[in-house]
Amino acid sequence: MSLGIRVAALDDIPIGEGLAVDRSVTGTDDDIALLRDTDGTVWALDDTCTHETASLAEGWVEDGCVECPLHTSRFCLKDGAVQGLPATEDARPHRVEVRDGEVFLFPGEAP
Amino acid sequence: MELRRTDCELRRIVIVGGGVAGVSTAAALRSGGYDGELTLVDAGEFPYDRPPLSKDFLTGVKDLTDLALQPPDWYDAQSIRLLAKTMVAAIQPSSGTVELAGGKVLQADRVVLATGGGAARPPIPGLDDHRVHVLRTAEDAERLRSALVPGARLLVVGAGLIGAETAATAAGLGCDVVLVDPVSPPLTAAVGPLMASWLHEMHTRRGVTTVQATVEAFSAHSHGLAAQLSGEDAPRVFDAVVLGVGMTPSTGLAEAAGLECDGGIVVDAGQTTSHPAVLAVGDPTRRRVNGLLMRRAEHWEAAQYDGKRAAATLLGATVPRPAAFWFWTDRHGVHVEVVGEMAKATSAVVRGEPAEGGRFSVFGLLDGRVVAAAAVDDSAAVRAARRMIDRGVPADAGALADPATDLRALLRRRPEPTAAAVP
Ligand SMILES: Cc1cc2nc3c(=O)[nH]c(=O)nc-3n(C[C@H](O)[C@H](O)[C@H](O)COP(=O)(O)OP(=O)(O)OC[C@H]3O[C@@H](n4cnc5c(N)ncnc54)[C@H](O)[C@@H]3O)c2cc1C
Repeated sequence: MSLGIRVAALDDIPIGEGLAVDRSVTGTDDDIALLRDTDGTVWALDDTCTHETASLAEGWVEDGCVECPLHTSRFCLKDGAVQGLPATEDARPHRVEVRDGEVFLFPGEAP
Repeated sequence: MELRRTDCELRRIVIVGGGVAGVSTAAALRSGGYDGELTLVDAGEFPYDRPPLSKDFLTGVKDLTDLALQPPDWYDAQSIRLLAKTMVAAIQPSSGTVELAGGKVLQADRVVLATGGGAARPPIPGLDDHRVHVLRTAEDAERLRSALVPGARLLVVGAGLIGAETAATAAGLGCDVVLVDPVSPPLTAAVGPLMASWLHEMHTRRGVTTVQATVEAFSAHSHGLAAQLSGEDAPRVFDAVVLGVGMTPSTGLAEAAGLECDGGIVVDAGQTTSHPAVLAVGDPTRRRVNGLLMRRAEHWEAAQYDGKRAAATLLGATVPRPAAFWFWTDRHGVHVEVVGEMAKATSAVVRGEPAEGGRFSVFGLLDGRVVAAAAVDDSAAVRAARRMIDRGVPADAGALADPATDLRALLRRRPEPTAAAVP
């Protein structure tokens, strides 16, 4: 079983914010946004908003959702489900694990 | 949104108008558990989004299908009967009938008016020339686009949101743009004087000529369309003109049905009009709160929230409390966001330095609280501010002004129990 890619230290991602991991690291089509919820948990979604080109890692993370920094499309952190217009497509979620203060990403694996 | 199933007899709902307000109403009705008949009537080819009409659609980067508010199969999947390219001619609230332009009649237990508005046309002589454009529909934008060839001389009348965006887009396409507005700088009420000036001066930095004047008349000229601006000796000649002078709310159906209208369709906090069987949402509405008539919001998000509130009312659920108005606008490559009512503020705090390529924001304060904020390329500042406003978090001017302050941390300060709602 894969151990995932170590992509950040937990402390690199402030609560309520995100951190984009470049696709050259993740090997995916899009960068992946690590998003730290207000309860401290870390989630990962494809970084580009499904509505227009904007980085969800620069969005507002709160209470289980990330809000896009351009037009406030909201996505559920745990499964990427879109919560309302203007986006209509879900964001792709990826599995994340935090071990000893280090964040490990499993690109393409469902959370 | 918490929605309960309603136990009343609502089985047939007709929504008139498929803009963001109408489509959001339909979506919220279904996600809230309404399983009766749901019909959405819209004049256009399919429901599409308007903000790109002055931005990526005008440049041609996006086409109409990119603007669809929902994917084509969404309506069937949600059991929404979409009657596109169809006009509603009249509604009769007392008998629950909705009359279509072809004469067909629909029966409805409730009607939701989501009719939006049209571009305003001020009474300027010579306005009916075919070179004078407005920008409200995709057809308008397509027609205007064909006039925006490199080197074309374009006059943009009105430097508010749509006028400024259109001027910026046209300049980007290589047009020779003159932007005229009697007010200088425009948008002061929304973003405060400092940001209003900075944004307006940006036009000049990007090669747009700004003129503080009104247009007195248009007349045909051998080399184009002549526009006489106030205070100028000779008219200026243009290849095309676009009016960005505001919106006229579509209140015709409401007025003919005898519903209370006053510069808009008057609604209560749950979007119900003066007739209990008719609700209204989006651009044409004005909400009455505690006897006071609010101004029309005329912004995308407000229209979406109206739809959610109307659905809650129809479902007999708790109606979400109106939040502070929020909108964005894009011009010359910068993203501007605004929340709340800057005009209400008695003092302002500036965060960051206004500079090309930089980000800065302005917070408007009243009685120790944030009541408004505007930001250039710093949406996080506005997202924080809107939460401060909606949650009534006390403001610390010094902390707000310091770009090193984490606004999220300010927000986590304990809100006071009597958080004031901003209508
Ligand atoms: C060019 C442009 C750029 C904009 N940019 C921004 C922006 O950057 N940010 C922002 O926040 N807001 C922006 N807005 C404002 C935003 O688009 C509106 O607030 C929003 O569209 C309002 O939605 P609505 O559903 O109330 O009305 P509309 O979008 O006008 O939709 C109303 C619909 O009802 C239909 N209709 C009307 N009467 C009838 C009838 N009798 N029968 C059948 N159908 C009918 C119309 O055809 C239309 O499709 C912009 C608007 C324009 C025009």
